Amino acid sequence: MKSRFLFPYWCRYLGWGLVIAHVPISMIARNQGLNVDSPLVNNGLFTGGHLFFICTALLMSLGLFLVAFAKEKIEDEQILQIRLDSLRWAIYVNYIILIISLVFINDTGHILELNLWVPLLFFIVRFRWIIVRLNRSLSREG
Amino acid sequence: MKNNIRVERAIKNITQGDLAEMVGVSRQTINSIESNKYVPSTVLALKMARVFDKPLEEIFMLEEGD
Repeated sequence: MKSRFLFPYWCRYLGWGLVIAHVPISMIARNQGLNVDSPLVNNGLFTGGHLFFICTALLMSLGLFLVAFAKEKIEDEQILQIRLDSLRWAIYVNYIILIISLVFINDTGHILELNLWVPLLFFIVRFRWIIVRLNRSLSREG
Repeated sequence: MKNNIRVERAIKNITQGDLAEMVGVSRQTINSIESNKYVPSTVLALKMARVFDKPLEEIFMLEEGD
């Protein structure tokens, strides 16, 4: 079965690279006192903090995006089903968190930031976990 | 849905990996189908029937409650 609109297999490694690369960059900037925590409420567009926020947020979300939607080595119909199932769960979790935080937290900037990575990260974790479980039952069979 | 792929494999003397390669899926998928955890698509079921050279109903059969 052909699944279109997926990145090639090597994109997974590129994606993890981007996610890992974004950690030291944002730590350095925090140490230098850049105001990266609240870029949306500080002084306007395209200031240092805002540009920096764009870069790191892009780096991280692009990385997660590539990891989440890279092809498996053998992309067959069962993988496709697990993918869809995990995506559904990711959307559920995302909206539950979103609704709860909209009701109880008065800080829309951070809620949006959360929304940026929660669905992708949950999707990746759930998808990989199911595949690990499949492989485990495979090695039990021998 | 039940299936007797395991039996058919034993008759033909091929491994899960061989069958997976013949029908173009991963070994994990063959294993899940054999242990009734995954229901294959019609295309995949027909491909497997062709490998075993048998009609579909001899390999896959409905269970009660299906």
